[in-house]
This record gives sequence, C-alpha cells and structure tokens, in this order.
Amino acid sequence: MNCVRLVTDDLYWVGTNEHRLALFENIHPIPRGVSYNSYLLLDKKTVLFDTVDWAGGRQFLENVEYVLDGRPLDYLLINHLEPDHAASIDEILVRHPETVVISNEKAFMLMHQFGFHIDGEGKTIEVSEGDTFSFGDHTVTFVSAPMVHWPEAMVTLDVTNGVLFSADAFGTFGALDGKLFADEVDFDKDWLDEARRYLTNIVGKYGPHIQALLGKASAVLDKIKIVAPLHGPVWRTDLLYFIDKYDKWSRYEPEEKGVLIIYASMYGNTEAAAMKLASHLSEGGLNKVAVYDVSSTHVSYLISETFKYSHVVIASVTYNLGIFPPIHNYLIDMKALNLQKRTFAVVENGSWAPKAGDLIEEFLNEELKEMTVLSSRVTVNSSLNESSGRELYELAEALIESVNEE
Amino acid sequence: MLFKTTEEHEALRSKVRKFAESEIKPIAFMLDQNNEFPTEAVKQLGEMGLLGIPYPKEYGGAGLDYISYAIAVEELARVDGGSGVILSAHTSLGAWPIFGFGTEEQKKKYLVPLAQGKKLGALGLTEPNAGSDASGTQTTAVFNGDHYILNGGKIFITNADKAEVYIVIAVTTPGIGTKGISAFIVEKGFKGFTFGDHYDKLGIRSSSTAELIFNNVKVPKENLLGKEGEGFRIAMATLDGGRIGIAAQALGIAQGAYESAVDYALEREQFGKAIAYQQAISFKLADMATKLRSARLLVYSAAELKENHEPFGMESAMAKQYASDIALEVVNDAVQIYGGNGYLKGMDVERMYRDAKITTIYEGTNEIQRIVIASHIVGKAPKEESYAKKKGSGAVTGERKKQIFSDGTPQEQVNALVETLKKDGFDFTIGIPVDTPIIDAERVVSVGKGIGSKENMDIAIELAKAAGAAIGSSRPVAETLRYLPLNRYVGMSGQKFKGNLYFALGISGAGQHLKGIKEANTIVAINNNPNAPIFKNADYGIVGDILTIMPLLTKALGTEEKKPAPPMVRMKKRTPKKLAKNYKIQICNGCGYEYDQELGDDEGGIRAGTTFDKLPEEWICPVCGEAKDQFIEI
Repeated sequence: MNCVRLVTDDLYWVGTNEHRLALFENIHPIPRGVSYNSYLLLDKKTVLFDTVDWAGGRQFLENVEYVLDGRPLDYLLINHLEPDHAASIDEILVRHPETVVISNEKAFMLMHQFGFHIDGEGKTIEVSEGDTFSFGDHTVTFVSAPMVHWPEAMVTLDVTNGVLFSADAFGTFGALDGKLFADEVDFDKDWLDEARRYLTNIVGKYGPHIQALLGKASAVLDKIKIVAPLHGPVWRTDLLYFIDKYDKWSRYEPEEKGVLIIYASMYGNTEAAAMKLASHLSEGGLNKVAVYDVSSTHVSYLISETFKYSHVVIASVTYNLGIFPPIHNYLIDMKALNLQKRTFAVVENGSWAPKAGDLIEEFLNEELKEMTVLSSRVTVNSSLNESSGRELYELAEALIESVNEE
Repeated sequence: MLFKTTEEHEALRSKVRKFAESEIKPIAFMLDQNNEFPTEAVKQLGEMGLLGIPYPKEYGGAGLDYISYAIAVEELARVDGGSGVILSAHTSLGAWPIFGFGTEEQKKKYLVPLAQGKKLGALGLTEPNAGSDASGTQTTAVFNGDHYILNGGKIFITNADKAEVYIVIAVTTPGIGTKGISAFIVEKGFKGFTFGDHYDKLGIRSSSTAELIFNNVKVPKENLLGKEGEGFRIAMATLDGGRIGIAAQALGIAQGAYESAVDYALEREQFGKAIAYQQAISFKLADMATKLRSARLLVYSAAELKENHEPFGMESAMAKQYASDIALEVVNDAVQIYGGNGYLKGMDVERMYRDAKITTIYEGTNEIQRIVIASHIVGKAPKEESYAKKKGSGAVTGERKKQIFSDGTPQEQVNALVETLKKDGFDFTIGIPVDTPIIDAERVVSVGKGIGSKENMDIAIELAKAAGAAIGSSRPVAETLRYLPLNRYVGMSGQKFKGNLYFALGISGAGQHLKGIKEANTIVAINNNPNAPIFKNADYGIVGDILTIMPLLTKALGTEEKKPAPPMVRMKKRTPKKLAKNYKIQICNGCGYEYDQELGDDEGGIRAGTTFDKLPEEWICPVCGEAKDQFIEI
C-alpha cells in the first residue's frame, strides 16, 4: 500500500520513514527514527528527485508507482549520492529502463564507484552550476553545494513554483510519521534539538561551505517558497527561522549564553563537583545550565549541546595518567567537527597525580580553533574539600562573569 | 604606468616646504643646540591640517592619501630631522592604532583631536627588556573590575612629554608571552602617570624623547584598545605603517644634506673651478641622487600599497631599511664634500649627519627590518616549541625572584628581608588572627618538620602574630606529628594558599607542598639546607636554622598588637579571548582539507610559511587532488 503526500500542485513526497535503524551512519543514535525524503514531479515529463535508503525500498517503489499511475519515469534527478538517498537508484533503473539520470560529474563518478548501472547510451545528462533544465511547465536550475557535506552535493531550485530541493541541507533526524510540513509540528519545541544534532554531527565540520551555500541562496531568497530537504519536514513558512539557525551553527556562534557541564566520574566524586558547580551557577542567576555524564551520553548529543552553548565546563577524572577516554573521545570529535569559538573551564580530579586538566587544556589550546580556556582551573583531590570547594565557587563566579561579558 | 606623484602631491609638498623653510629652517640650529621642541611650529602644523593627513575628514583628518603623509614627513625632515619624527610618531604611532583598532567612541574622543592637531600623540612600546622583542614587556595592567591598574615604565618614547595621548602596551595576562599583551589609551594627566628626564641625544635633538613612568595609574576599562591579548598585534600592525614614516624621515634628511652638498659644490672653487665639476665630487653627487631616487620610489610605493589596502609589510620594511641605510651614506658624502667646513657646528650637514643615524635604529632596527623582509621570502621559521609547553619548565611555583639574603650576620639578613618585604608594599602593622582558615588568609606562616619538638610551635605562632599571618604547616606536621589540625596543612591534597605572603619555615619543598602554594604572590623560604628545592620556588630566602631565624624575624617584624587587616582582595586572573588567526585559511571544495600557510604542504613540496596566493598554479589539494581554484577562503 502506498503512503504519499502532496507537497504542492503536482509535486508529491514519495519518501519513507525509518524506525528500526538504531544508529544513523552506524554511529549516531536515532531514537525517534529518520525519514528518507524523495519527491516526484508530474509535469509534461515526470521527474523523481533523489531516492531512499535501501531499507525503505519496498515502500518507496510502491509510492513511486502509485503516483506515476502508469506513466513512464522520464528523469531521475540526483542531488546527493550518499547511500541513504541513492541506494535505490539501481532498482528504479531496473524497473524504468526509460529513465534518464540527471546529475553532475562528480556524482556520476560516485555512481560508478557504488556500482550503479547508468552506462546506457543517452541515459545520463550531466549538468553543472547555473544550468537550467525544463520538464514542461517547470524549469529548474542547479546550484552546487560542495562539501555540504559531500563533494558532489548540489541543490536544485524549481524556479516555476519556488521549491528548493536542498539535499541534506535543512534536514533533521526524526521520522515524519505522517507529518510532512514543519508547520504541522511544534518545531522549536520538539524538533530543534534533533535538527541541531543532525546538522552539527553530520555537516558540522563544513561550516564555511554551508556559509558559501547560504551566500548563494541569499541571492535568490525571494524565489524560494518551499524548502524540501532529504530528511525531516518540508518548510513552507518561516524559512528564515531555520536559515538563521543554520547561519549560527555554520559560523560556530552559540545560540545560548549559558554553561554546559560535561563530567566524567568513576565513583561519583567528580559528579558531586559537577553538581555543586551547577548549583552555584543556578544560584548565581544563570538559567541556561545543562549537565551531562559523558559515560552515559552519546557523543553526538554532547557535540550538539556544545554548538548550542557559549561556555563549556569539562570535569574529568585522571585515568592512567591521562584524560578519561570518553572525554578524550569528545575532544577528538570536537576537533573532527571543527567546533570553535567557545569558552571552556576545566575541573580535574586525581587522587595521587591529577593530570587530566593540563592535558585537556593543552588539547583545547593546541588542537582546536579559538577556544578560550579560563584560567580558574579547579583541581579536586579524590573528593571536594573546603579548599577545592572554594575554588569551585570562584570558578562559578568567573563563569557567570564571563557569560555576562559576552 | 607613470612613476610620478600627482599635482596634488606636489602642491602639498610646496606648501609644507614653504612652511618648513620659513618657520623651522631658521631655528633648526638653535633647536638642535638647546635640545628644544618646536612648540610653536607644531601648533601651526596642526592649524594647517598637517597632523591628520591620512585620516578621514569625519575624524578631523585631511582625508588625503598615505603618500601625502610621507611627503609631509619628508619635507619637514629635509630641513630638520627632529621635526620630521614629531609628525611621524604622532601620525603613525599615536593616532593610527586608534584609527585602526579603536571603537567609535574612542575615535571620537581621541582620534578627532589628534587628527585636528589639537593634541599630540605617542606610542609607549619600548622597555629596557622589550626592544626588538616585545615579548619581554614588563609593564603590567591589572583589571580590578572598572579600571586597569598600570604599573611599570617605558623608555625612549618619542613625543614624550609633549604628547597628550599615549598608546601604551602592557601585560594583562602574565606567563603566556605576547598573547597576554594588551594596548591602552592613556592620557597625560592620569594620576600616577609621570615622565622621566629628557634624553640628551646625538641627533634629532628638536624632538622630545623621555621615559614614561606608571605608578598605579588607573586607566578606565573603556580605554582598552582592541581586545585583551590583542596588544602585540596592534603594536606590530602599527609598526608596519610607522616604518613608512621613518623611511620618509630618513629620505628627507638625506635629501636636505644632498641639496646642501650640491649647492656647496657649485659654490666652492678649487683648482680653478667649482668642485662640483671635479669628477671625484660629481660622481659622489651622482651616486647620492641615484640612491635618493631609489629610496623615494621604495617609500612612495610602500605608501601607495598601504593606501590601497594591499599587503605592504615587506615593502615598508624594505623602504625603511633602504632609505635609512642610504641616508647614512648620503649624509656622510655630504659632510665629505663640505670638507672641514662640514665638521663645524652650525653647518646643516653636520646636524644632518647626526640626525640620520637614529633612522637605522628606531621603529625596528634595520636588522629587524631584514628579519621582516626575509620572513616574506623564506616564510616564518618552522614553529618552535609553543609557550604552553615552555610554561612547564622551571620551578613548580612558576617564575620567582629567588633572591637569597646571605650578606652579614643572621640579624642583618633578617633586616634586609624585612626591608625588602616592606618595600614590596607589605604593611606589618596590620594582621589577621592566627586561626584564619588558610583559604581566606592573606598571609601564612607555615612550618615543616624542621620545627623539631612541639614547644617550638609557640615560637612559630609568635612569628605568625608578628607577621600578621595565620599559622599553617606541611603535611607531616599535621598528619604525623599532629602539631596542628588536619585542615591547617598546606599542599596539593590539603589547603591551597592563594594569598599574598607565604613563609615556609623548615619546609624543604616537596612537590606536593609546592603545588599548594603555586598561586602565592610572594614566597619566603627559610631553611638550613641551601640545596632545598624550596629556594628555587621562593622569591626571598635565608639559609639558616629556623630556630635562630624565627625569633630574629619576629622581633624585626614587630611584636606590637596588630590592627585588623582589611578584607583580602584577591586579584582576579584575566583570560584573554583566543584570537582568530590573522591570516586567511583556504578550504578545499573537494574534501574539506584546510590549507594553513603556517604548516605549508610537505607532500606537495610547499614550505611552511607559504601564503596561498604564492602556491604554484599547478599545486593540487594533497588529500583529494582538486585544483587550486577549487578552494574557498574563510
């Protein structure tokens, strides 16, 4: 049975929802699932915009055939070659030998690498930035979006109805479950966190490339009426709300002036310090304070929260004369994702040779960009005492002052 | 293109020349003789709009280009080298940092009167230990919430004490090198800001040069220029532009000497004709003219680049280095042409000969200029050990004075110690109760196992009272000997002392203990073992038996009842915001690889220090092979 939705006039959503996959890209947990969006345009010619992950293949094929209703599939337009969107290309081509694939040079190279059968005579049309293509009433134009977050990525703008097929840009984790449009959900309350986690973990490294794409988009902003990404809801109202979020994330500017505390505690003593610090901060009037245990929180959430807040406290035990491995993993992930421009403070714990503080600070200073480390380091020896308790209080004061200064 | 100045440039030159010849030239010898500042002439320069040549009209400037400014310096220096540097130091060093880095409010308040010529400006950068190397800066600026408290001094400051606005470079975060340096706008008249004696200089004697002295000068936080930690960059950017002014000054001095020599050579007859027609002299004149033209083109070209916002750091260094080097040659030849007459006071070439020398020295010696130029050719030397790693070297407690009082008897040593502490500002008429918690104590007298039997604790407590301090100990004294409760031992695992004065008596200095006093302001060590690690970690020390020293010290500090000390003010440590790199990074569209000029590309045979635009056209991304034009810049 099909499950499709009308986007506008002659454009249909023919994507699928995924709930059984535990880890997106086999790394990021998706407790609320994810959607693979694909769109089908019924113009004088029929056009399918991207496909879905192989896991959704069966539902997807039913959707496509239902909307085509016996018509041939004239074109398959591919904006992004990552297998969560491209895996069903071959199956579509097997069922529709008449279909011509439209994409760019790099994407065709990748299709060959992934082993898709696109070699038939006249079966491909190569386009590049600025080209236009007409399907009858609808004319589309192509804008390359290199490294958002793959090199072949492009976005396609239908200049007739103003639909921007934005590939992975403006996508989010979370299955649609019957919804289609962002205005059918409370996005800010229920979806923003997952949207941030998706963007920062998947495309976070490529902020400058997102900025380049936003720059291109701003030139045609008045022409864009609907944004149709490859994951998550379609945007037809309040586009600037989401564009503004993307602008912040890709410039590595925090959304909130507040403090994120990430702690690593083996027996609860460092946790106690983190809690004490958090209560000092709250008592001191800061109402944007979030606390996470690094050992029980997947790093993708920590990355997302670090993008959100202006200040971060890392409270770590010393482990084998080094940084507690999950904290180390968080640091390495920050580096991989190009996270920058935050203010950090460090609380270290060690019972005989506290070392984590120096190493964390060195990593932040040497390996990351524009990370400021407040000099008010707190060293806890095994557990908080009068002296380190006082230092913790002073750290809270320094943090509050720093947050308010920004 | 035609290498020629515009009509407007030449009109300005005529105007400045006319002024210089009528108002300064007649008094130049007198100014030189008397070490006198041309106050009246500088006032007139201001009225003529010449003190703000390259600044926009909205900030009170003349809105002219940088070549115009160079011409004005050149023309003043042509008659009087000292007057040239007054204009250069004011425009490039005093006003420019505010123009380049100031907020709108700072520009309105300070740049406008400077550019209008109502006030004179200057830059305070050089210190006894920070000449070519600004990282040796010792002047400090401590933030107290509303103000920065400035302490220290500057030497060789051009336009001091005539200037009213000073850009002062000071350390806001010690221990992190140039990253902890900030720039401030300091007004003449701020309380505690005074000047040292004027220097008696070889040349440029009409310019005023003096020391700046800062004694607890309160500088409002609004007067921080740029961000904290940005001071070094501000100073370096300022010197980049300042070099054009000094190059123009050198050019002007040499031009003046050259013209004087030509006139003299045409006038002076020997062997039946003017010496100008003797080949020995005419060849000299030819060489002088050639050098001057080369220097002038270098100076104007650097000014033109700056005006057009092109990179000009290397070119301004070349202009400064070359113009000043040839200035020495030209003035030397001029005196030679004058013969014995040129060696006499009162002859302009004699004065110019002396005036020229400073131009190879100040605003970056010519040796430093060559370092700058070379760095543009071969790139920055590969990164040396970063400060973060260096920081770990030396004592556990950080940089300490390590001064041992060893002269004379123990009594004399104790007296010397107490004198020094008082000179440092410690007031021993006030004190805190001996049982003040360590963490709250401004001063602590701490004893180690060297204390011996328990009765001796009374002697230590007497000393604590005399010092106005709380009593503390090393860990074994509390944990093993149990002379004091556990919450009174100082160390990594015990209480940390973060106050101002710490006496370590009979404490050898185990690492564990030293970690607890890292943040003490002043550490005094007394121990009978001269090799005890504590001495390497202390500011002051006396080698001797504590049972001998303690009573002497108690007496020297005074056993009278202490007045209660005011609450301890703990200095907050400032952390400057990390600055972005001051050059662009390029990112590959094919894979996201970042080209960082500081690292270069080893695999592609690109040396560290190579800027992206200097990469060969055939260079490709070392990771994915994209071409150079597939990179975007951030």
